[in-house]
Amino acid sequence: MQATQTRTAGQTQAAQEQQAPAAGPALTAVQEARAQAVGRTIRCPVCQGLPITESPSDLSQSMLRDLRGQVAAGRSDDQITTYFAQRYGDTVLLDPPRRGVNLLLWAGPVVAAVLGGAWLLSYLRARERQAAPTPDAGPLADDPGDDTPDAYLAQVRAEAGRRQP
Amino acid sequence: MTDSPSSPSAPASPPAPTPAWRRFVPPVLAAVLVAALGVGLLRGNGTQDGGPLVGKAAPDFTLQTIDGGRVSLASLKGRPVVLNFWASWCVPCRDEAPLLRDLSEKQSANGLAVVGVVFSDKDLKSVRSFVQEYALAYPSLLDPNLNTAITYGVSGVPETFFIDKGGMVRGYDQGGLTRERLQAGLTKIGVAF
Repeated sequence: MQATQTRTAGQTQAAQEQQAPAAGPALTAVQEARAQAVGRTIRCPVCQGLPITESPSDLSQSMLRDLRGQVAAGRSDDQITTYFAQRYGDTVLLDPPRRGVNLLLWAGPVVAAVLGGAWLLSYLRARERQAAPTPDAGPLADDPGDDTPDAYLAQVRAEAGRRQP
Repeated sequence: MTDSPSSPSAPASPPAPTPAWRRFVPPVLAAVLVAALGVGLLRGNGTQDGGPLVGKAAPDFTLQTIDGGRVSLASLKGRPVVLNFWASWCVPCRDEAPLLRDLSEKQSANGLAVVGVVFSDKDLKSVRSFVQEYALAYPSLLDPNLNTAITYGVSGVPETFFIDKGGMVRGYDQGGLTRERLQAGLTKIGVAF
């Protein structure tokens, strides 16, 4: 391993590089806006749900500088997000890709709303049918706001029938 | 609740009982949701058995050592490499340092290579103290802009990549090596410890 090392600038330069991160590339206003927009979709890996544009951590700042460099190099938004996802996994994306298991995230609420809506509709219709006036139901069934349990209602009706002369 | 003025007909028959299967729907739904949550939690982020880079070519780098030397991954091609990201402020890094030191004693000219990369550690004095304290006999590289850390997807230390002779990442470990986990990683790159 030692053979792979060659002395160059020396310890002083090493210390300086360790202390002073390089500045990012100069971007036009449009490029900077694009870098910020893409950066808002990249999660800071060492924070809780913060995008790298809002995190002061060294890692986020370095990732943002890397991202700005890619924007300057003319890479597309997809290429940039793929670059980070390939290294950190999809969890680095604040906007999860719509594929694979992630589809559950997007489709789940829609499916739940449709199924829940269908169930609610059928329940309301069934209740409406039960609440409709019948020849022997009398005024008890006329109350649209009646939410007496069915068994209890049947018992009341039975008792009412017995009390008739 | 008054006496009904309606005709004295027979009392209404009780409604049909709820079908048995319908009673099982809520608990089954809840069980499915809990199971899905459990699978998601247990599956985790794949940090132990395979990071996103496993099975891919290890990104090349050329970095300066704390002594002013320079090491590139390309220069190690043909050798299995253990690439360890660490920091002097990282407690698990201290726990695994003796293991890596022992491992580095098995290095040979054309055999295993152990390389450390300092992660987000601006205090060079502490870095040197760490190296001296654990007598690390392998190069510790400086990554001041974290560029190499980002190309490897490092988010916290320690993280270790096991790179085979062909330059492919075959294993990954996060959170601190134990002898068993180190051996498991080395086995993937054909090295016995």
